[in-house]
Amino acid sequence: MKVAVFWGCRILTSQYAYEMSIRQAFPRLDVELVDLPEFHCCGDPVKSMNDVAANYLATRVLALASTTGLDNLLVPCNRCHFVASESKYFMEKNGKISQKITSLLKEEGLEYNPSIKVWHTIDFLHNLVGLDDIKKAVRKPLLGLKLATHVGCQIIRYSDLGRVDDAENPRKLDELVGALGAETVDYAEKLDCCGANLMYSHTDTALSLAGTKMKALQNLMVDGLVVSCPDCGLMFDFKQKDAEATVGAKLDLPVLYYTQLLGWSLDIEQKQLGLHLNQSPVEKLLARVSI
Amino acid sequence: MSLTDLMSMAKPNLESREKILVKLIGKELLNCFQCIKCTSGCTALKLLELKPHEIVKLVSLGFVDELASSDIIWTCVTCLKCLQRCPRKASPYHVIIALRNLAVEREAKVPEGYLKAVSQIIETGLAESVQKVVTKKMETFDREGLKLPRITLPKESFQATFMKVMEER
Ligand code: SF4
Ligand code: SF4
Repeated sequence: MKVAVFWGCRILTSQYAYEMSIRQAFPRLDVELVDLPEFHCCGDPVKSMNDVAANYLATRVLALASTTGLDNLLVPCNRCHFVASESKYFMEKNGKISQKITSLLKEEGLEYNPSIKVWHTIDFLHNLVGLDDIKKAVRKPLLGLKLATHVGCQIIRYSDLGRVDDAENPRKLDELVGALGAETVDYAEKLDCCGANLMYSHTDTALSLAGTKMKALQNLMVDGLVVSCPDCGLMFDFKQKDAEATVGAKLDLPVLYYTQLLGWSLDIEQKQLGLHLNQSPVEKLLARVSI
Repeated sequence: MSLTDLMSMAKPNLESREKILVKLIGKELLNCFQCIKCTSGCTALKLLELKPHEIVKLVSLGFVDELASSDIIWTCVTCLKCLQRCPRKASPYHVIIALRNLAVEREAKVPEGYLKAVSQIIETGLAESVQKVVTKKMETFDREGLKLPRITLPKESFQATFMKVMEER
């Protein structure tokens, strides 16, 4: 199976472990990734400034995806996935916006093709690859691990757009972790936001949202937190030490991308999955698996 | 200025209210019946005192100018919970985005982070600059060192078109 990929800014500029682990693990599941011919912002930060311009950026991404000749587009970032899905919705439901954007794209020789389907890492693996094929590919089952999942906000809301999983009770990421042999826990703070979007305007509050969630998770004695969005990865892993001060507690929670965990259980070498790039103590979690 | 300060001298302005309604395309905002479901689950309520039901009410009453120049509209985390849970499809989230867009048009105070993102996009196509990362063992890596492919920047027509739409409003 071949799929076009739009990475978005955060993955390409700092969350390298997510990109590396997708590039490594997907081919092992017979998925060939095709990068778009150009990289640019999906439009997310622009939404707050000029919604039309944001929709132009997002639809341009969809139009670039069409140039690959493929119908499936993988968008591993939650924010990018939301902005792309909402633009697609507007292009199909809103004549005024769609006309405007179609003509802008035409000036650049691009065209939006409605048959393009937008996938996130989670539903791509869950719905297209399938739990059975993942289970079959596992070489090192993660037996005995107790993990928490954080799916984030923008891939599960709002339902009118057609989202990756249920808005109030998302299960797919848990099932994907289960396919690798690990156990997941349900917890009260599961749907709490990582706060990343406030990094533009209220850094301390953003860190405090992330810190509060991690503090609650540490009390649950889980072996680690599994994420699947570069914003969540940034907040829980990269900024974990910064978040400590805002919640007045020592934070020592292993946080990693689902695709890193997947790659690890497919027996891909740690460095190729970017596991040396995580700032949180992932080695604690990995040591528990190796035994 | 805080919302309370602004409201103490507030006057409804129906023209500005219309500007928001046009941006929202539909007028579902007017269907809000103040059930407060949005506010009860709002991520920014506890730490930043954002009350989405209040924002919706104030806009429908015409207090748009006050909101567009307030800091409160920049406290939304864009978690989309209010929109998901609103029984009347009034979508406080979209109302807040429309208010932010209006604030930008009026050149009101916009958080630095957003301005920076836009100028980065104009410059490179990406909203962020490419970083080197330092591991816990203090080794530094960039994309090349990690054997990640080079980033292909958008062709020139992109910049011109993007700037044109940004200016149009
Ligand atoms: S916006 Fe929706 S959820 Fe909020 S008070 Fe109004 S009707 Fe209720
Ligand atoms: S989208 Fe904004 S206003 Fe709505 S619940 Fe989330 S933080 Fe609150």
